[in-house]
Amino acid sequence: MTRYNIWFFISFLIAGIVALPIITVFFSFFSETSNYFTLLKNTFLFDYINNSLIILVSVLVITFFIGVTSAYFVSFYDFPLSNFFSWSLILAFAIPGYIFGFSIIAFFENYGTAYTILTNLFGEHNYNPLIPKFDSLLGSIIAISFSLFPYVFVLTRSSFLFQSNNYIEVGQNLGLTEKETFFKIILPSARPAIIAGLALVSMECLSDFGTVSFFSVNTLTTGIYNSWLSYDDLNTANQISFILLIFILLLFSLELYSRREAKYHQPSRGFKPINKIRLTGKKSIIPFSFCLTIFFISFVFPVSQMIFWTVKFPKYFQDIDILKINLNTLYLVGLASIFLVFISLIINFGSRISKSKILNYLTNFSISGYAIPGVILAVAFITFFSNLSDLITNNFNVGSTKNLFIGSISGLILAYFVRFFSLSFNGIKSSYEKINNSIDESAYLLGYSKVKTFSKIHIPYLKNNIILIVVLISLEVIKELPITMILRPFNFETFATQAFVYASQDLLEAAALPSLFLIGWSTILILFSSKYILSPKN
Amino acid sequence: MIIVLKITKGGKMSKVTKIVSVALVGLFTTLIFVNSVFANEVNIFSARHYDSDVQLYEKFTEKNGIKVNVVSGKSGALEKRIIAEGGTADLYITADAGRLGAFQANLQGGLTSSAIKSAVPSNFRTSKWVGIAKRARIVYFAPSRVTGAELAGLTYESLADPKWQGRLVIRASNNIYNQSLVASLIKNNGKGKVAEWSKGMVKNMARAPKGNDRAQILAVAAGEADIAVANTYYLALMLSGKKGAEQQAAAKKVKPFFPNQDGRGTHMNISGAGLVKGAPNKANAIKLVEFLLSEEAQNHIVNNTFEYPMIAGVSPHPLVVNMGLDFKQDLKTKVVNYGKRQADALEVMTAAGWK
Repeated sequence: MTRYNIWFFISFLIAGIVALPIITVFFSFFSETSNYFTLLKNTFLFDYINNSLIILVSVLVITFFIGVTSAYFVSFYDFPLSNFFSWSLILAFAIPGYIFGFSIIAFFENYGTAYTILTNLFGEHNYNPLIPKFDSLLGSIIAISFSLFPYVFVLTRSSFLFQSNNYIEVGQNLGLTEKETFFKIILPSARPAIIAGLALVSMECLSDFGTVSFFSVNTLTTGIYNSWLSYDDLNTANQISFILLIFILLLFSLELYSRREAKYHQPSRGFKPINKIRLTGKKSIIPFSFCLTIFFISFVFPVSQMIFWTVKFPKYFQDIDILKINLNTLYLVGLASIFLVFISLIINFGSRISKSKILNYLTNFSISGYAIPGVILAVAFITFFSNLSDLITNNFNVGSTKNLFIGSISGLILAYFVRFFSLSFNGIKSSYEKINNSIDESAYLLGYSKVKTFSKIHIPYLKNNIILIVVLISLEVIKELPITMILRPFNFETFATQAFVYASQDLLEAAALPSLFLIGWSTILILFSSKYILSPKN
Repeated sequence: MIIVLKITKGGKMSKVTKIVSVALVGLFTTLIFVNSVFANEVNIFSARHYDSDVQLYEKFTEKNGIKVNVVSGKSGALEKRIIAEGGTADLYITADAGRLGAFQANLQGGLTSSAIKSAVPSNFRTSKWVGIAKRARIVYFAPSRVTGAELAGLTYESLADPKWQGRLVIRASNNIYNQSLVASLIKNNGKGKVAEWSKGMVKNMARAPKGNDRAQILAVAAGEADIAVANTYYLALMLSGKKGAEQQAAAKKVKPFFPNQDGRGTHMNISGAGLVKGAPNKANAIKLVEFLLSEEAQNHIVNNTFEYPMIAGVSPHPLVVNMGLDFKQDLKTKVVNYGKRQADALEVMTAAGWK
């Protein structure tokens, strides 16, 4: 086969599409600019960087502490409900940071839910000064931390499960206490997994838009948004984007590197599963109450707040067209999954049969869609297609093609594609690589064509993996906010956009119902995929 | 995808290639097919998205048979999309004159029918955009901690007076309502004076700015501050009980005060609609604006959003009437200035350290 066959062109095209936002952002560098940057530089740029760093560092510290501690408890000890906690703690993935934010404000604000509870318990009094206020920076940090800590929990737990009991026995033979074993043996050997988890947390944290914009905290991401959109200052947007992208790409390399490291740490021979230490009575209090508290804050608290509101303000049951939003969500989830999985399968298959290294390099571009914050991606997307359409209209005798990709379902799906291609492609790749090449060769010997090998051998083998990828894509699409918000067609809402639109109109109580549906669907998907997510293989 | 097909057309197509191509074409056709188009319609980009607005659009469709398409969002992203999409948007609706003013270059003239001109006072419209409803940005105070003597003759300008030190709450400088208020102060007092005023305001704040307008009013009710600056409809909304019994009770603990009564009057702002350049359904858009200014629509708006009506002859919601209607509105400062002075307003606030 030649080097430049159809697979090369398809991969090239896909890599090009996925890299569009980054290319657009950097090409906009030469556009006109206003004097906003001077103003920003003299006053608030430092604040933006400062806020981003404060949020990032605090979120890392909190997610590290919560994630590693809870993973340690459920992996090494047997205490009441420890099996329940080992999967229920990942339910926090079902609550996006912005919805956690709605709950915090609703509960702690003046005359909020906490006030109502206190009034009902102890009678009328001005309790407001007694209720702690978690808003602005503090609110953002808490909301983001509790929605992201499962990354650390899941990866650390998988790594703990792989730790052979031999290590622990060595520790015991050396006369180490439990505490010393943890700090000298268990923690260091899980380091690559922890770093990988923290790198994912950092990336999500830096690109967060929904939470910080709800709390009106200015960060690098909202800075880009404001300078680009409100002040039409592309130059500033680019300069801030540049700082942010460097941050994110560094983290991404760190994550990739740590994952590779993590593989070397997987023992093969002489592996003994961990003997969980049984804790009863007083000794079980600390791990039990720790895990219970985390589960309560991360999941029970926001869900209860949303239920409380939905019950207290039932009027929104009539006002919100829940059936339509369910159908919209299903529609997006279906199209996005089919599209992403289909293309990922083809590219993986192509790179397998053509054995081209170039394909591998090209598909590495797929990370860029994930690295760039969704809100920037969406704006870059409309800018690109607007310019492209103008170019086509000016050079060829055709009408505007803008509506094909701006404000249309096709545009939305394409943007999701850019955003989640990395998830889908790499997810399928990891499983595809496990099919030995000799299986293909045996199939050819039996007279199977390439297509037949693909459909009769590869697909059945990949089935479970494909289901998992579809579930993960669905989860991301349901929770996705900025891209959907900016690119959606007329009269089209998802749970995320409906909730956010209400929240930004100061109608948090109306945001409760769509939020609850969003959480419900996400929870079902997480439960469905939990056995894959929690298996040590992933 | 079209490129892929072209490349493969020349050479021999393998079976795989054929299947791949057919499937891709199929996928894209489905995607494109989904974007169906209606003939008699009007497309609204709205940064103001109340459920009551949607009901209003439904009424319009019933009456005129014109389908109303809405996409809502944050003003910045909406504006970017209106420009990028070019030739799709008919009307841009916001809850602030400042945004419409700043977007002027992408709007076109045409809102000049006699129905519009006779309904809307001239300071609340241009040929490109018109006000649909009015709101005032006023002061709220706790009667138990603020005396009538302290309030006498209060102006926006005198909020920077040291006597309010540590007693005032107002939201952040990135809020458009504040930007419009400060823009109107710059128009009336000059940038230099307002820069000094901003510094005084920052000194007087009881806490770093946070939360929305309603949170400012609640802070006064809860005793965190003595006075707050917020729009008029928020108090009525809480008093209506729509926000629950606790907030209804809290709202009764604060009283409204209309500033600048001895001078130009209280700062007024609008919810408004702008006619977008290249609007594909211009005639329908104008029809919709005229409908929004009809007595029926105005009654619907004031009773749901607690704003002031734009046209004469319609009474605001009783709770808004209770706040007082006999105050002097600032009809001298044209709202078009809010957009013109927006950048200056942001600059003086940020320079003063107004978060």
